[in-house]
Amino acid sequence: MLERMFDPNGVAVIGASRKEGKVGRAVLENLMANGIENIVPVNPNDGEILGLRAYKGILDVPKEKKVDLAVIVIPAKFVPEAIDQCGRAGIANVVVISAGFKEAGVEGARLERECLEICQKYGVRMVGPNCLGIIDTGSGLNATFAANMAHKGNIALMSQSGAICTVALDWADRTNVGFSKFVSLGNKADLDENDFLEFFENDNSTAVISAYLEGVKNGPDFIKIAQSVTRSKPVIIVKSGRTSVGSRAVSSHTGTLAGSDAAYDAAFRQSGVIRADSLIEMLDLSRAFSAYPLPKGRNIAIVTNAGGLGILTADACSSAGLNIASFEESTINELRGTLPPAANLYDPVDVLGDASADVYAHALETVLADNNVDGIILLVSPQAMTEVTEIAEKIVDIIRDSEKPILCNLAGGTRVSEGEATLQKNGIPNYPSLERAVTSMDALCTYYSIKDRKHSSPQQISVDKSATDAIIKDAVSNKNRILGLESMDILSSYGIKVVDSRIVKTLPEAVGVSEEIGYPVVMKIVSSDISHKTDVGGIRLNLRHADDVERAYNSMMSDVHRYMPEARIAGVQVQKMVSGGKEVIIGMNRDPQFGPLLMFGLGGTYVEFLKDVSFSVAPVSTDEAKHMVSSIKTYPLIAGVRGEAPSDINSIIDALIRISQLVTDFPEILEFEINPLMVMQDGQGCVAMDVRFTIDVK
Amino acid sequence: MASILVSSSEKFSGKSSVCMGLGKILRDRGHVVGYMKPIGNLLIDVHGSLTDEDAEGIKSMLGLDDPTKTITPIHLTDSLIDDALIGVKKDLDERLMEAYSTISEGKDVVIIEGTGGIGGGAMYNLSDPEIASKIGTRMLLVTRFDSIYAVDRILCDLRIIQDPNILAGVILNEVPADMMERVTELVVPFLEKKGIKVFGVIPQDKTLRSVPISEIVEGLRAEILVGTESLEEFVDNYLVGAMEAGSAIKYFRRLPNTAVITGGDRADIQMAAIETRVKCLILTGNMLPSGAVLASAEEAGIPVILVRSDTMTTIERMEQLIGHAHIKQQVKLDRIVELLESNVDLRSIAASMDLEF
Repeated sequence: MLERMFDPNGVAVIGASRKEGKVGRAVLENLMANGIENIVPVNPNDGEILGLRAYKGILDVPKEKKVDLAVIVIPAKFVPEAIDQCGRAGIANVVVISAGFKEAGVEGARLERECLEICQKYGVRMVGPNCLGIIDTGSGLNATFAANMAHKGNIALMSQSGAICTVALDWADRTNVGFSKFVSLGNKADLDENDFLEFFENDNSTAVISAYLEGVKNGPDFIKIAQSVTRSKPVIIVKSGRTSVGSRAVSSHTGTLAGSDAAYDAAFRQSGVIRADSLIEMLDLSRAFSAYPLPKGRNIAIVTNAGGLGILTADACSSAGLNIASFEESTINELRGTLPPAANLYDPVDVLGDASADVYAHALETVLADNNVDGIILLVSPQAMTEVTEIAEKIVDIIRDSEKPILCNLAGGTRVSEGEATLQKNGIPNYPSLERAVTSMDALCTYYSIKDRKHSSPQQISVDKSATDAIIKDAVSNKNRILGLESMDILSSYGIKVVDSRIVKTLPEAVGVSEEIGYPVVMKIVSSDISHKTDVGGIRLNLRHADDVERAYNSMMSDVHRYMPEARIAGVQVQKMVSGGKEVIIGMNRDPQFGPLLMFGLGGTYVEFLKDVSFSVAPVSTDEAKHMVSSIKTYPLIAGVRGEAPSDINSIIDALIRISQLVTDFPEILEFEINPLMVMQDGQGCVAMDVRFTIDVK
Repeated sequence: MASILVSSSEKFSGKSSVCMGLGKILRDRGHVVGYMKPIGNLLIDVHGSLTDEDAEGIKSMLGLDDPTKTITPIHLTDSLIDDALIGVKKDLDERLMEAYSTISEGKDVVIIEGTGGIGGGAMYNLSDPEIASKIGTRMLLVTRFDSIYAVDRILCDLRIIQDPNILAGVILNEVPADMMERVTELVVPFLEKKGIKVFGVIPQDKTLRSVPISEIVEGLRAEILVGTESLEEFVDNYLVGAMEAGSAIKYFRRLPNTAVITGGDRADIQMAAIETRVKCLILTGNMLPSGAVLASAEEAGIPVILVRSDTMTTIERMEQLIGHAHIKQQVKLDRIVELLESNVDLRSIAASMDLEF
């Protein structure tokens, strides 16, 4: 669909200019410099621009110019008309470089909407507005005003910041990294990251997809598309606005809500996207995927001429969850035969400071042949007798022919620069630090499992949806935004066991219900105005007889009135006291970008302090629910430590899947929390003790 | 001619609303209705003459022709109070009687609104019960039922009134939903047993407490940046955005019809507010937001207004505006009438002043 966008028969530049320093001239020059045949400048003053025949308007351009891409570089207020003319001229693709749209304010936003409507009317697809343009190294298209043209390669890069595009281009120019396609997304009025992910998935010239994003436009679609794309090509994304101040800047820049970082983390993980922590990491990882074959496991060999570097690398590997390989006997024997006696023959292999290029190369080949090795990190320090450049020359062929990734860190500065240049000239990266080499190796190894993963779809459990439907409809019609203990039936209708309880309005009723349920009991205040019952004295535990209940009832009412005089009290809930279980929490918050974000963690009073929680975007599969439970740091406490009996983890997983279905079935549920969910010993299930919903009543 | 004095146990009880609603209902029933608030305590300047804000509102909402001076013959100024304390004779009783007789002319019924609380004006012998006995009318007491202790206030008020015959009855106003049952089942029978007629129990109502954005703009002397078409929307609550965006979303979702107060530099909070479709964004400190945020607000149809004052001062002003709004909109008058008709025994009120209903 977008093929002609990147490989047009003819390109018109609307707003082409002959004036030095104008964007309209830079774009034209870039197009001309890269061998596009039919280039048509459009400018109200016709005549010639840079030797090309210019036309007054796009409708004046003759059909034989076969223009199927228009690059627009005129002031914002004229852009809608220009797109309309493109539509009438049958041009299906436009790149709007011009700024002054939504990023500039209300009037700009109106123009942007107008542009989009015109595009939709004619079926025109638009990149931008407010962008740097697009590049395709295969077709030789450079429809940007960037100072560099990209080298040919297999990385497709898209960026929500035009300036970051120029940084990437310049970095790639120096490090000899090539791109297949290059897209500056701009304001994403029409085409966005999802469109390009889909396009790059089927683009033969692209092997690696990377992106700088400030947000995604359609989260649920993004997850679906990325889940498919990442199975055939690695997708590396750096997403800015991680912190509160960062997200403020994103909002200010784009007029969108950055969305919670936890949601992005979960969505990226669930869809197999590799998240880079920085711009340079995104570029490093892209280059690694572009340059190397994928390792088949996580066993890494380190070859070094400096013991210190080897140890640092071993530490970094271990922190990243990479294994240091155990060599086969034949490898060790071969190394013993060729390396000096003082050398270290086990991983990390230390060939010693005076190792010649031949010794290095032989050690590398020996380790490479070992079946227990999936990838190699090669380190070279510039000691007095080290032949850095010769080593680089010697290893180039080995690296290029290898079916395992060999990542190099020629460490140092001046003395390694020639060796570094040798590697780069041959398309082999030299990582400026061993840590960056390890991060790239980790990504390569991780992708191996992403690529091969089986996607299990969420199972549908049979539930009593109509009961919940009635409760929610009632809340909506009564404008009840907050539902608390009185809505425990929602959980029951979705098959989650809830504690035996009743809501009462008076003390005599409380005593009566307590006698009926059986002591000990717990009393909780029922009020949609109170979200933290403990803080206002709204929970009384372990009441053993009627006197306890009476004392607790009276003092609780007095406390609640004192601490929250404005709170509306709907009654008191009397619960059977449950003990002997572990408290966990299941929550959900509807994220503006991705929808229902499930949360799981250890529960109780300390949950807000510990922040030991895991997140997943619902709906979740059984595997995903398992991952949620096992990925919190305090998981061993649930699984049972020091001979303690394990908790019923399967019942938590079951509850997560049911909640996932509940929040997917009812978009009216904006927020949700079971706190605590009491998990009993293995085989004895779990019980919801308290619940709170926020409902969208419109 | 019939008449009644509407008094209240405390300020902001909804006295003016009852006067306005009652006036409208009686007029719709074919009566010629007069209104006065003898002592003006919320003084404002209207076209060069001093008058009471409540009285002015009712005069205009009910379309009354009587001159402002007659509707409110006495203004509670500092000098009036000083004179009362010194003992200077001001002929207040005469002014009251004269205005009352003028207003009464050609009317079937006159509704007299008291000043602030029931005992207000005692220092110059014009507390509500004193006015009632001077002009020979009975009292309707409006009590805001904010807690069970409102019962204490009513019984105290009865002691201030002294003559139980002067009290026609009470209306329990703004009763929170969770207290309704207790009020109707326990409080009403209790008061009736004490010989106090309860004319009605009116539940708390959001429409009446709410304030239109246009009044917020006026009250905060704000500049409207976008959203002029939505200024007549009503705001019930305000929230302050000073947390991170994730918490802000949760916070904003919990309350309906909210105005969010935040700094012009807090684009994250602004977007959270727009995302959760709050009613209005109030930006403090005279800091303009980014163009992209304004554009998003405009697309969502949410007014963004800019104030010079800091957040703290803005909160204080909002506190004054919400819940204390004067009734200036037809929507609110209609709502009052609706509430009175469905919750108050209007026939008995009319009967208490021998008025046909």
